[in-house]
Order: sequence, then C-alpha cells, then structure tokens
Amino acid sequence: MSVLQETISEETVRELSEARDEPDWLLETRLDALEALDDVDFPDVIRTPGRMWTNLADLDYESMVDPFSQTETKEWEADEGIDVLPFHEAVEHEESLVRDAFGSVVDPETNHLTALSTALFTTGTVVYVPEGVDAEDVTIRTTMNGRSLFNYTLVVTEQSASVTILERQDSGEDLDGARYYSGLTEIVGGENAYVQYGSLQDLDQTTYNYQLKEADIDTYGTVDFIDVNIGSRLTKASVESHLNGDSSESKMVGAFYGHEDQHFDIDARVWHNAEHTTADLVTRGVIDDEARSVYEGVQNVGAGAWDTNSYQRENTLMLSDESEADASPKLIINNHDTEASHSATVGQVDQQDLFYMTSRGVDERLARNMLVEGFYVPVLEEIEVEELREDLTERVRERLQSRD
Amino acid sequence: MSSDQDQLKETDTEARFEFKKEEKSAFEAEKGLTEETIRVISEDKDEPEWMLERRLRALRQFQEMPMPTDWPGQPDLSEVEIDEIVPYIRPDIDTRGGVDDWEDLPDEIQDTFDKLGIPEAEKNALSGVGAQYESEIVYQNMQERWEEKGVIFCDMDRAVQEHEEKVKEYFMTKAVPPSDNKFAALHGAIWSGGSFVYIPEDTTVNMPVQAYFRMNSDGMGQFEHTLIIAEENSEVHYIEGCSAPKYSEFNLHSGGVEVFVGEGAHVQYSTVQNWSKNTYNLNTKRAIAEKDATMEWVSGSMGSKATMLYPSTILKGPGATDNHITIAMAGEGQDIDTGAKVYHNAPNTKSTIESKSIAKDGGRTNYRGLVHISDGAEDSSTSVECDALMFDNESTSDTMPYMEIEESKVDVAHEATVGKIGDEDVFYLQSRGLDDDDAKQMIVAGFIEPITEELPIEYAVELNRLIELEMEGSLG
Repeated sequence: MSVLQETISEETVRELSEARDEPDWLLETRLDALEALDDVDFPDVIRTPGRMWTNLADLDYESMVDPFSQTETKEWEADEGIDVLPFHEAVEHEESLVRDAFGSVVDPETNHLTALSTALFTTGTVVYVPEGVDAEDVTIRTTMNGRSLFNYTLVVTEQSASVTILERQDSGEDLDGARYYSGLTEIVGGENAYVQYGSLQDLDQTTYNYQLKEADIDTYGTVDFIDVNIGSRLTKASVESHLNGDSSESKMVGAFYGHEDQHFDIDARVWHNAEHTTADLVTRGVIDDEARSVYEGVQNVGAGAWDTNSYQRENTLMLSDESEADASPKLIINNHDTEASHSATVGQVDQQDLFYMTSRGVDERLARNMLVEGFYVPVLEEIEVEELREDLTERVRERLQSRD
Repeated sequence: MSSDQDQLKETDTEARFEFKKEEKSAFEAEKGLTEETIRVISEDKDEPEWMLERRLRALRQFQEMPMPTDWPGQPDLSEVEIDEIVPYIRPDIDTRGGVDDWEDLPDEIQDTFDKLGIPEAEKNALSGVGAQYESEIVYQNMQERWEEKGVIFCDMDRAVQEHEEKVKEYFMTKAVPPSDNKFAALHGAIWSGGSFVYIPEDTTVNMPVQAYFRMNSDGMGQFEHTLIIAEENSEVHYIEGCSAPKYSEFNLHSGGVEVFVGEGAHVQYSTVQNWSKNTYNLNTKRAIAEKDATMEWVSGSMGSKATMLYPSTILKGPGATDNHITIAMAGEGQDIDTGAKVYHNAPNTKSTIESKSIAKDGGRTNYRGLVHISDGAEDSSTSVECDALMFDNESTSDTMPYMEIEESKVDVAHEATVGKIGDEDVFYLQSRGLDDDDAKQMIVAGFIEPITEELPIEYAVELNRLIELEMEGSLG
C-alpha cells in the first residue's frame, strides 16, 4: 500500500508531467511507477533478532511530501565539449538519448521510494560525454527550498570518454517541520570510459534523505564513487556498481560524519558479473553525540565472474558513548576463481596515538581533532575534485571545533 | 537468495512433489502436532506437571509463530515436514527415526561407516537401527569417578525426575526460552533425551564428557536437550555428536543446548554433526557466562541437507570471555548456514570468533554472525575472522556478519577472506611427489587444523578421515 494515497494520485503525476511538457513515454514511466507503489516494498534494511537497523516504513511521508512545492536553486558548471543540461532541457534536445538511458540502470520499481521518486521528480541533470571526450570538473549544485524535493541525475558516457563530476545538495531557508529529499542517479559507464562521481550531501538536519546511485559499467570501464554524507536528520543512501563488462572496475569510497541525533544508513554494493573485474570498497565514518550509523557492504560475485578481485574495508570511529555503530559487510561468492576479502572495525581514537601527541606537547583536544581529521585521509586521497576535498575537510573541522 | 532456492527446487521434481501432496491428504487425520500428542509424550515419561505445562506452552508458541522465511539468503525450509512428525515422537506409535534393518540404510551411509572402520554394533546404534551401543562399562567407570566429586552426568529425562529442582530452575527459562524462535518452541514441546551435566564449585572434570555413548538411549535423539550447569570456578569439556553419519527417515533435527557458566568457570562445548543429507538441522544453542567465566564453542558441520546453527553466548558478567571456532563443509545439495552470536552485556568482556568453511560440488556455506556490544560494556573487545575455501564454480560461499556497537570504548574487528584452493600450493605439493588429490586433501586438513587441534585425538582423526572421504567424491 502506498503511504501517500491521500497526497498523490494519478492526477498529481499528470499535472507535474504536463506542466513540464513531457513526452508520453515519460508520463507513462511515471504512471507505471505510481502504480507500482502498491506492490513494491521499502528499501531493504537490516534486521537482527529484536532490532531493525533503520525504520523507513514509519516515517511521516504524508507531512513531508508535497509534490507541488518542489522548489530549488540549481547551478551547473562544465567544460566545453560535453552536455550538462537541466533534465527537461535534455528531454527536449536529446530525447532519444534520455529515453534510452532513463530507468536503464536504476529500475524505477526497485522499491517504494524509487517508485515515489520517479513518479514525482521535478528537477534533474543529464550529463552526456561523447566518445573520446575528456571532461573535467562537472559541478552540479542543488539547494533545496521547499518541503520536499525529488531530484534525478543521469550520466551517460560513450566509449573512452572521461568525466569527473561533483554533485552536491544543501538546504536554503529554514522551514518548520520535517523535509524530504530524494535523489536517484544513473550512470551509464561506456566501454573504456572513466567516471568519478563525487557526491556531497549537506542538507539541513530536519531533512529525511533517500538516495540511490547506480552504475552499469562496460568492458574496460571504470566508475568510481565518492559518497560523502554530512547533513540530514536521517539518510538512507545506497551506492551500487554493476561490473557488467570484462575487466571493468569500480572503487566505492564513502565518508560520513554524524552528530547530534543524526542517523545514517549507508550501503555500498557491487555485482561482479563479468571476468577480470575489480572492486574496492572503502568507507570511513565518524559518529558523535547520539548519532547512529548503519553500514551494509555487499560484494556479490556471480558464477561467470572468473578472476575476480574484490575488497572491502569499513572503519567507524566513535567519539561519544551515546552513539551507536552497526555494520554488516557481506560476501556472496559464486565463483571460486575469486580473491575477496572484507574487514570492518569500530573503535575510538587510538589511545596510543593520542598519548604520543600529547607527550609531544599538543593539547589533548587538538590532538584528538587532528587524529579524527587524519582518519579521513584514505578517503580524501581518492577525491579528484578539489571542491569536494576541501569541503569535506572543512565540514569535519567545523564539527570538531563545535565540540566541547 | 533466489538462486539458492532455484537450486534446491531443481533437486525436487514437480512430479515427486505432487506425489507427496497426495500421500499427505490420505493420512490427514493422523497428521499435525496436537496437545494430545504432547500429553502422551509427557505421560509416557512420567513427567511432573510443570514440565507438561512448559511443553504445552511451547506448543502454543510454536503454533503461533511463523516459519522464518525472511532472513537474507537463508536455506529454504519449505520441505521441512513438520506434519509428518507425529509417528516419530509418539511413544505409543512404533516407528522411530531409524530404520529396522541395516540393509535398509542408504548405500552411501553404509559405505561411509565401512570406510570409517566403525564397529558393527556402533554402526547399528549410530544409524538408529535400534540396537543399543554397549558402552555401559566405559560409562560406568567415568560416572563413579565423577560422582565422588558431586558431578552429575545423566540422561535429561532422568534428570527431570532425579534433579527436579535444578532442571525446573534452568530448563528453557533463562538461556533458550521457547519464544526464541519457531524451532526452539517446537523443541520445547517435543524434546526428548539429551544430557544433563552439573559440575559443582571448584571442580575440574579433566576428561571430556562425551555424550557420544549415550546418543541412542532414546530413539534418534532428534530433539535432544542438553543442559550444562558449571558452578563457580569449575571446568568441563563436553563433547556431543560424532562424525559418523546419522540417518533418520524423519527429516528434521531440532536440538536445544543451554549452558550456564558460573563465575570463573570454564566450559568447552564441542560438537561435530554429520546428519545424513536428507536432514534439516535447526538447533538453538546458548550459553550465559558470568563474571570472569569462559565459554568455548567448537562446532563442525559436515552433514545435513540444510543447517541453521548459530551457537550464542551472553557475556553477562564483567571479564567474561567467549571463543567460537566453527567449521562448515558443504557438498552437493547442501546448504550449511552457520555462525555465532555474542552479546557483550558487561565491561571487560572479550570474544573471538574463528570460522572456516569449505564449499564444493555445488554446496553452499554461509557464515552468519552477530556481535552485539551493549551500552556500558566498556573496554570490551571482539575479533571475528572468517575464511572460506571454494573448490569449484558451482559452489557458493557467503559471509554475512552483523555488528551492533552501542559502546565507544571498545575494540571491534571483523575480517573475512574467500578464495579458491591455491594453485601454487597444489603445485608445490605435487612437486614434492604428492598427487593432485592428496595435495588438496592436505591443504584442506591444514585449513581446518584450528578446529581439529581443539578436539580429542580420536575425534580429530575421525574428522580428518571423514573430510578425506567427502573429498574423494569431489576430486575423484
């Protein structure tokens, strides 16, 4: 059952679509998604005896989702030679491209929240990098102003194309009450193409945030994700790579910093569907105050995935005794010609490191803050976009300095 | 998950399924577990009223609870024939789990017995043919020595009569309540046999207590209950099961194990299960460790069609320690889903989990484990290590650990690796004159050594021999 039967109907969706002058196929896709709301479940969350790690089903969607108040400010920056277009402009000018790719990576009917997002999205971006073009520093900045916002991003790379993208979200003026942000990102990684897709989620702490980013990666292709979560009241964010072509690769890097009563549920999943593929999952997170983090990493090696290399590391640092860190790194291996490993740790700032630094005359608070900043180095090293690297460092520093 | 289910479905043709359904309807009247059946069991055992009440309450819980079906990637339990259970548990119906004649046993089981060199009498007993394994003398000797120290080791049914107060206090009240899961509830309703072990304060039982000898005193022991109470500063090593295959026509084994480790006490519970490959092995095992106590679980899972077994320890007292060593081996048609659960509920508690698994010939192994550190359990540490070996491309090896950390002053580490048997290792051994099979067997023996070295020598030898047998088929 849809949780939103009072708020949205077929009329709502038709109205949204008509106002944007959308072609029939898009309206149909939206209506199919709307209809699917009744049939598909909420995104998977981990349950252990007596506990559910994140409760998405009981959020008050009725009060947060307002399809007609979606307003935002968006900025795009890009090099010459590639198309970075607002979604509806792309539908107008590159209709066949969008039509072919839309929903090809993220099935709108994956779950209740993707279906909702597909039915209601009003804004988005299409990045198209033609064959052989090397594009750096595409930046997409979205500031959310209304009660709710449904955003959509499509990245299509042709053969041997290369692009570095930063997409970021933050909030405009304050509103009373809870808000809802939903973002879907589809990345079509062409043959021998390279994509680094960095994301910085810095929404205000009244916002409930759902994001799903998925990439299909062709032969010799590479799609790397950098997924940074700082803001929001509650986040459920999944990053997923499908290594569909031989010798394709994906590096999935995550960072989060939770404080106060924030709740982050972060997933990283990779499917090895072809031969000689490589995946490397690295996530580092800090939690403070009463914040709670939930991490699930899944390395899925298919029966045909000969000669697979797959690695996963997750480390959580707990700065407060009131916080909670849950983690579940999973291996699903169906081909024995695989080298796979995962590891996860949870702990505090290393007492020996702290002792060493204080013995060298560094004030304890400063020493601890330096160690926490240093904890993110393995993530920072992977980031190619300076703005993302600087902003992550800055946001971490701000949070550390605001501590007692 | 779907691929596992598909795989299991493929082993059962549509035609066979239809046939079974017809058969069921013909005997409808006698099927299903009822209160009357439970009363018959309890009366036959001449049990006190409170035990009957507990059984009936467990039955109600069993009937109310849904089948567990929503665990990610869990074994398919749709073929567990609970409705067929009645003839196997009712004392007034003369059909026990075993077969009547050695010749009726499946060939592969006869074969394994022969190859393991197990004596005829024992073969019969272990396979449930009905003859009792005559180990009374060995058992008597042990018993006399223990009794002097106040140690109790007896059949669980006898314990209900002779040690009623202790059993009443501990039996499915503190560690494994029937409400824990559907199969624990079933077990609570129909349990029969098993062992009761009581070790008084400051007593060390310096030889392993083996339930091996007693396994068949009551039918197949498919719903046996083991209750171990180790008082302050006592020490005991309890061994259950054996590596020889056990055969039963009824396809469900659902045992219960409860261990109470008193302050400063040390209990090791070792088990190697090798149920025949038609069996669903669904057990609930749990220990509660008090201050400075140590609990050790050593588990080997070789047999069964599907196993779901996650021995758990609640570290209740400060300074308590838990060690898990588990090994799983899954061949054709097998789904071995095992692991460990540890709850750190007090400061300075420590746990280590070491899991080894081998998947071959289309089998599936899964490590599924939960480590929970509660708020306030400061200075606790846990370390989990899972290693999996895969023989071929038909097999599946999964690892699904869960960690819930509510306390910041902790040290939590989890590591897992999956790989194939190393070509270089095999090549090296071959270059030293071993053939391919021997080389692989030796690598596997080395891989599982952490568990074999925890077992008494005769078990270790038998386990190694069994793995060799299992591998012969696959390497041929």
